[in-house]
Amino acid sequence: MKQLKILAVDDDPFTLKMLNKKLDKEGYDIETASDGVEAGKLISQKFYDIIITDLVMPGGVDGIDVLEAAKTKNKQTEVILLTAHASVENAVDAMRKGAADYLQKPVNFYELTLRMEKIRNYKKLLKNAQDLREAMDVTEQNAAQTIQHLEMSVAELQSVVSKIRQVIMSQSVDPAKCVDRVFDIVSSC
Amino acid sequence: MTKVTTDDLKIISKYILDISGIELDESKAYLVETRLGHMVKEYQCSSYGELCRKAKIDSSKTIENRIIDAISTNETLFFRDTGPFEVLQHKILPDLIDKRTEESSGLFPTTIRIWSAACSTGQEVYSIAMVLKELLPDLKKYNIKLLGTDISDSAIGQASYGAYNKFEIERGLSKQKLQKYFNPNGGNWKISDEIRAMVTFGKRNLLKPFVGLGKIDIIFCRNVAIYFNLEGKIKLFENIASVLEPDGFLIIGSTESLTGICSIFEPKRYLRTIYYQLK
Repeated sequence: MKQLKILAVDDDPFTLKMLNKKLDKEGYDIETASDGVEAGKLISQKFYDIIITDLVMPGGVDGIDVLEAAKTKNKQTEVILLTAHASVENAVDAMRKGAADYLQKPVNFYELTLRMEKIRNYKKLLKNAQDLREAMDVTEQNAAQTIQHLEMSVAELQSVVSKIRQVIMSQSVDPAKCVDRVFDIVSSC
Repeated sequence: MTKVTTDDLKIISKYILDISGIELDESKAYLVETRLGHMVKEYQCSSYGELCRKAKIDSSKTIENRIIDAISTNETLFFRDTGPFEVLQHKILPDLIDKRTEESSGLFPTTIRIWSAACSTGQEVYSIAMVLKELLPDLKKYNIKLLGTDISDSAIGQASYGAYNKFEIERGLSKQKLQKYFNPNGGNWKISDEIRAMVTFGKRNLLKPFVGLGKIDIIFCRNVAIYFNLEGKIKLFENIASVLEPDGFLIIGSTESLTGICSIFEPKRYLRTIYYQLK
């Protein structure tokens, strides 16, 4: 699977710097935004696999707005919210609105990378399920065409056979005419 | 995970065949292990054979039902293979409604009985209900009976509740139908009361005699027989023939065939989809 593209959003420069450093070290392709407004601009221009955003931010665009903007742009973007202890309830509300997870501040990076791995595995499984479904649909459509064609052909042949049987079983037809009639039936199908 | 031995696989396959008609050959050992392994542990059994023995003597049938739930495949989606729903909307329902209306001479509401014979978690039967609603905006004028049955308790439970998560909703359902026939329900989507009220659900094993069903006009029995052996398939379609109205319609899965299974049905084609009627 390709490297995940991450956007980290926080008005606290220290947290943002740490996120950038640690996740870059872990091998993620990370970009940062110092508030919701900047994040909104980036989201409208690019696709991110995961957005890690602070819940409470100044400037009129908070973490919930970032979540909504991300989900509106592309449902496949997953959002992890960072929240202070006092706003856990808000984070739970955010999960109802489609956030993948939330973490309490100060960020425990070991915990964060575990959540990220969980999201990566979830995305892999989802992709795998979509691929399997696609493969099944294509196989099923091809098989259906063949089977339905055969089903109709068999039914037509059975009807021809039963017409021929009727002619042969009929006592009143003389053998020469019988052959002619069978020939007519066969040539008409 | 408890490994299934060859002897155990024979015992459990025979048991599953008896209770559900689902045939598991020796290549399906992994299925038994992944789907029933946790039950062996939970019921403190030393083997799959012992789980079978416990299930057989459990008069509440809890273990049997759980085995059926675990082993049956509930793969389904809204408007699966569009074709059958096009046939239903443009051919079967208009033909039947004309015919039944004429037969009732306008004295009674036109009655049509439709059965989704293995409705799983309800997507098929609700798709049929949506087709009916689109075709007949004034449904009250008609007496439409829509029945969904399945062998799995948990599938029927979910079908009857009518709530679907975003993955189930994304499959096969247009945005327009989602808005029209579903309501958001705490992260999920719930089928509207109007559509839900059109359907009656029940549990039914398709290999047991069809008692108490009455005659049915349209039967959907798609992708069920694929899990049965030949004997089960024959029994299933004979059972179906016994409850289908003489001029009724049967729809089976797009990759299924009745050739060599049941000769009393005749395949007919409408556009690119096949449906069956009694000869």
